[in-house]
Amino acid sequence: MEAKPFGLVFFPAFDWSISPTHPEREERLLYTRDQISEEGLLDIPGIREYKPRLAKVADAERVHIGVPDIKSLITDAHLVSAGGAITAAEALMRGEVERAFALVRPPGHHAMRVVHGARGFCTINIEAIMVEYLRRFHGVGRVAIVDTDVHHGDGTQDIYYHDPDTLFISFHQDGRTLYPGSGFTDEAGSPQALGTTVNLPLPPGTTDEGMHYVLDNLVLPMLDEFAPDIIINSAGQDNHYSDPLASMAVTAQGYARLAEKLKADIAVLEGGYSIEDALPYVNTGIILAMAGLDYSRVVEPDVERAPRHTAKTAAYIEKLVLEQYALWCKRQELSHKAVLKSGDYWQRQRSIYYDSSDIGERQLENLRLCPECQGFMTVATEAEGGDSGYKSAFAAVIPRQPCGACRRQAKDAVLAAKRKGGFQHYIIQDKENDFMERL
Amino acid sequence: MLLGIDVGGTFTDAVIVSGAKILAQAKVVTTHGNLMYGLLAALDKVLVGLDIRRLDRVALSTTIVTNAVVEGKTDRVGLLLMPGPGMDITKLVPIEPYILSGYIDHRGREVVKPSSSEVEDVCRQLSGTDVFAVAGKFAVRNPRGEQAVGEQLARLAVPAYVTFGSTVSGTLNFWRRVNSAYYNSAVWRHFGRFAFAVRQALADRGVVAPVYVLKADGGTLPLEAAEDYPVEAVFTGPAASVLGIMALAAPEGEAVTLDIGGTTTDIALWKDGLPLFAERGAVINGYPTSVRSFWLNSVGIGGDSFVRWEEGLLVVGPMRKGPPMAVGGPVPTVADAMIVAGVTAFGDRDKAWAAMRQLAVNGEETKGLACQVLTAAAEKIVQAVKRMIEARAAEPVYRVEDIVYSKILEPKSVVGVGGAACGLAPLVAKGLGVSASVPEGAMVANAVGAAVAKPTLAITLRADTERRYFTVAELGLQNELKERRFLLADALEAANGYLARRASIAGISIDEVETVYAEEFNLVRGFQTVGKIITCQQQIKPGVFTRVSMREDI
Ligand SMILES: [Zn+2]
Ligand SMILES: [Zn+2]
Repeated sequence: MEAKPFGLVFFPAFDWSISPTHPEREERLLYTRDQISEEGLLDIPGIREYKPRLAKVADAERVHIGVPDIKSLITDAHLVSAGGAITAAEALMRGEVERAFALVRPPGHHAMRVVHGARGFCTINIEAIMVEYLRRFHGVGRVAIVDTDVHHGDGTQDIYYHDPDTLFISFHQDGRTLYPGSGFTDEAGSPQALGTTVNLPLPPGTTDEGMHYVLDNLVLPMLDEFAPDIIINSAGQDNHYSDPLASMAVTAQGYARLAEKLKADIAVLEGGYSIEDALPYVNTGIILAMAGLDYSRVVEPDVERAPRHTAKTAAYIEKLVLEQYALWCKRQELSHKAVLKSGDYWQRQRSIYYDSSDIGERQLENLRLCPECQGFMTVATEAEGGDSGYKSAFAAVIPRQPCGACRRQAKDAVLAAKRKGGFQHYIIQDKENDFMERL
Repeated sequence: MLLGIDVGGTFTDAVIVSGAKILAQAKVVTTHGNLMYGLLAALDKVLVGLDIRRLDRVALSTTIVTNAVVEGKTDRVGLLLMPGPGMDITKLVPIEPYILSGYIDHRGREVVKPSSSEVEDVCRQLSGTDVFAVAGKFAVRNPRGEQAVGEQLARLAVPAYVTFGSTVSGTLNFWRRVNSAYYNSAVWRHFGRFAFAVRQALADRGVVAPVYVLKADGGTLPLEAAEDYPVEAVFTGPAASVLGIMALAAPEGEAVTLDIGGTTTDIALWKDGLPLFAERGAVINGYPTSVRSFWLNSVGIGGDSFVRWEEGLLVVGPMRKGPPMAVGGPVPTVADAMIVAGVTAFGDRDKAWAAMRQLAVNGEETKGLACQVLTAAAEKIVQAVKRMIEARAAEPVYRVEDIVYSKILEPKSVVGVGGAACGLAPLVAKGLGVSASVPEGAMVANAVGAAVAKPTLAITLRADTERRYFTVAELGLQNELKERRFLLADALEAANGYLARRASIAGISIDEVETVYAEEFNLVRGFQTVGKIITCQQQIKPGVFTRVSMREDI
């Protein structure tokens, strides 16, 4: 047997749903539980199961700015699922496991920095909460997050858009054909972090061959060059050919082989709603692959119906990879140019829709392009809809290692906004001191 | 009158329990070549002067199955598996299996039928083999694949016995069911010979009372029924001890019980006055099985544990170098310390004192040193108990509520049985900050446990109201679900009915039934609730017929 086992945090949340008939319901991981139990995977000496801990609200507030606050927007299930990701990370950091998989729900990759409610079934971003926990308590610096969910990981992208120490790579079904409608190649990070957000929109019908072409020729070389301290896989499983919410053609073997090649230190489950035909097989495949065991016999009964690779998709993907790799190689130069072009501040105005809560948000980000640090930013947010009506807040974010000027100006900006009035909540998220201040 | 016999590693004990009292007891040395000699010697000894016509039941706890496995007195088994897609377990089972195509999916749908030409082929290769084990993945949700292979085997191979994976356990875990089914067939003939010998010996003595065998789950089964599931009779010693404690001390609420023998201490944790079960099943010869058993931890501390100094520290166990010096052993032991400390009396007291003086290399006061030895031994048990409590708290749960409101086990008492209990149990209790008791009769707890253990049986019912069928794995049933509205309560009621049927087949009566687990999920397809999946396991609650105390005049 291998020296170190593989860690599995399995938490199917059998008593939690968004609503009784929602895709995020009690039944979602039932058949996965059945398959894992029936295989006897939890009895294998090379696999060690962990009970998730309950994350603290402060763990979530290290990442998110909740309006009015995180506590009132989440349920205990969110803290267990975030806690499950932290449990996986802790097992890895203690050196007990070689790698770990937080096979937990509810998911998180559509949850952005500012939270008014749930979008894409997500309220808090469990990977980001885990990553920031690792940075705060285990001195982890450079992180790569590879999002293999079929949907663009727009929440994770938003949280790390200004962070050059976090490489976020998402490949997903093209946003023109699928929720959340983002994740195009030109979303590449704000000027100082340009190139550390990489989006790879893939055409509907992409197969194992297509996915592995992207992996082999782009993702793995990028990871090699970026040389992160840790690799995280947002392991959504909705690229599967049987998924009801998307139109891709990946199989359990494709996902398992991806897990084997990617060698993520920690994988965290995201989406995947073909609960009977895909999840039992995909999860078994990923677990075996991550544990270094033979997964060659994990084959769906109806794999014959998976669409075949077409020359057209192949050509599209080859071109995409070529272009993206060229941009990746030029990223420092491009970042430099973008900084010069923007001046002292970089602004972004957006409308964000919370489909799961039916809330519309308007948001203005103002980021200082600071030569000394990552730069502080302010966010002005107004939201309307859902159960809570109108909500607004003005917040400043002090980065992990701020310069004196950014720290001062961040506080001044919130104080000035408060004097001026017009918002319900005034918040400072101080990442240096790990503290959320409400003025 | 209930007769209980426990064949242990060293001694074979027999007791007669009558009217909640131990009426008679006998102890003989276990005869390792043939357990029957010692068993019958104990039986004859305990029955002296008693009217055997008054015997209501004879119950045996033996190492017959455990020994057969350890000593390799097992048959060559034809192991036929239908694993379907998933993990390759070919190298993870006790013998090279024959892999057949054909499989059932997680909803119990037969995706591929078993191939009859493959079975024919296997039968040719296995000519001369007459015991088989057949197991299919998810067969607990549809036994048809296993049954089809079984029918073909019956025609082609004329088997003496076939164990089906789905009938050894109704719970998910193919790998464990495979191992259980294999061992069941492997020991089937050996156990059958034992059963035959027992019946004959009892008939020779004019005993007409029914004979029961103790199982690892602390329940008993009539000998005839046990012959179909001999694997269940593995590791009955520790189960007998736990049942003995239940009869002699009836620990309430949360408790720790210890069986402190010569070389090891078996620890059990109790909740609500009942011992906790192992989460998934017993491990036989390194192979995880689905055999239900109590959750026990063994720590290498006992009366014979070797005591010495290592780098300035007093070290106890886990090895044994021989019996205590008080009875002529070679090195100081825990039992010698107990004699010097005055908590027990046997053997040569002077030799025990000599043992402690031999240990007092730094001029320690002898009696004080003996107490130090016992404290060091108890501390190892305390640490093991704490590790078990931690392990229990770390056991994964799958509901939010169970994480948020999880409660750590807090034992309120320690109960000890076994030879060294009187010396160590009070010190373990002190270490845990709780009270201790060592019930009278603790020396024959195992035989008492066997004598008064109630019969147990379990049944697993799974209903799929969308696919409109239900299975009862242990009975090999898959039936149409006629009721349109079928809820968990209906499932529990139906399961109780099948439990009663299974009990009557086995020839036992039902006293009290309990739910081992129960779950109910709504099936939603296209935003519509289209049915439910309900799974429940009901069992005859393990327990004892009566509390037992020592007879006043013993
Ligand atoms: Zn998704
Ligand atoms: Zn700065």
